[in-house]
Amino acid sequence: MTRIPYRRPEDMTERARELTLERGNLNVYRVLANAENVYPGWMLAGRAALTSPVLSRRLRELVVLRTAYLMDCAYELGQHNDIALTVGLTQHEIKAVISDFDWQTAGFTSVELAVLRLTSELVTERGASGQLVDHVHTDLGSEATVEVLMIIGRYAGLALMLNALDVDLDETARLPNLPTT
Amino acid sequence: MSRIPLANLDQQPESIRQWTARRGNLNVFRLLMNAPKVFGGWTDMVDELFASPTFDARMREVIILRVAHLQASPYELGQHVPLARTVGLTDQQIDAILDAGDLDGAGFDRAERVALDVVTELCGTHRLTDDAFAAAHGVFGDEALTELLMIISCYYGLALVLNAADLDVDVAARFRP
Repeated sequence: MTRIPYRRPEDMTERARELTLERGNLNVYRVLANAENVYPGWMLAGRAALTSPVLSRRLRELVVLRTAYLMDCAYELGQHNDIALTVGLTQHEIKAVISDFDWQTAGFTSVELAVLRLTSELVTERGASGQLVDHVHTDLGSEATVEVLMIIGRYAGLALMLNALDVDLDETARLPNLPTT
Repeated sequence: MSRIPLANLDQQPESIRQWTARRGNLNVFRLLMNAPKVFGGWTDMVDELFASPTFDARMREVIILRVAHLQASPYELGQHVPLARTVGLTDQQIDAILDAGDLDGAGFDRAERVALDVVTELCGTHRLTDDAFAAAHGVFGDEALTELLMIISCYYGLALVLNAADLDVDVAARFRP
């Protein structure tokens, strides 16, 4: 049971309501809208993160699922399990990426593996080896590497909020409003 | 040396140069500017966190310093220890936040002390026990508690980005809240 009440869209400021409905009426948004002085800015950062075409949807979902798993965030796992299926990840790949070791042998490309290694080390150790960061940077370049790091940072931080507030997974609503690439 | 080259400020669009002129020409901004499609949204978030009247500057720095310490971020500490001094935190209080002194004997008020406990538990375990949540909710209520989590979330995630990049602490540039 979510620990604080949900804000209903009709009770939000117009700006907050617009930003919420742009993404979907999800529990995560209805809970975080309680912080009405900072919620619009958080949603704008989210819009940028979710709509940037720099990373493939597939790579982004791998990073999000791995982060969610390591942060033990049931809400993120529930939402992104279903999103991952829509961007070409198989059930087998999803199961592997949210496991302790199977992701290393699930047939991911070498770039995907390097990004997953970086994600794992960063989320569990709070830092990463220079070699690993250099590997990803060489493969992806500066722009995509920074986006990968910002996705890890955003979803690790969001996991803390969702876990702290014990937000219930939406029964059916899924983050639908993303461009398909 | 940062593992990812820093962007050149002169080559950024006017809006980003203006924002940086307002907030400070910091290495962190030049790192994140490498990703121009997400940097603008990130600056909107930062602007609101620092414009919000929910917490005073002192409480904000208490929260940020504790996150920076527990996430082992030399860069965040490099910026926010000096900032904490300018908003009235004593050296004894800063030491206590950095686990070099006693949190209970450092003269924090009750709300600050509860906020510190929230940060400690959340960064350490990634969740809050029922008792910890109840204590925090009793002090802060729905809105301020959620905003407290937003600040923690922002700096917790940012520390990961900074640590991965091994970003150099700025020599002189200071963040202007």
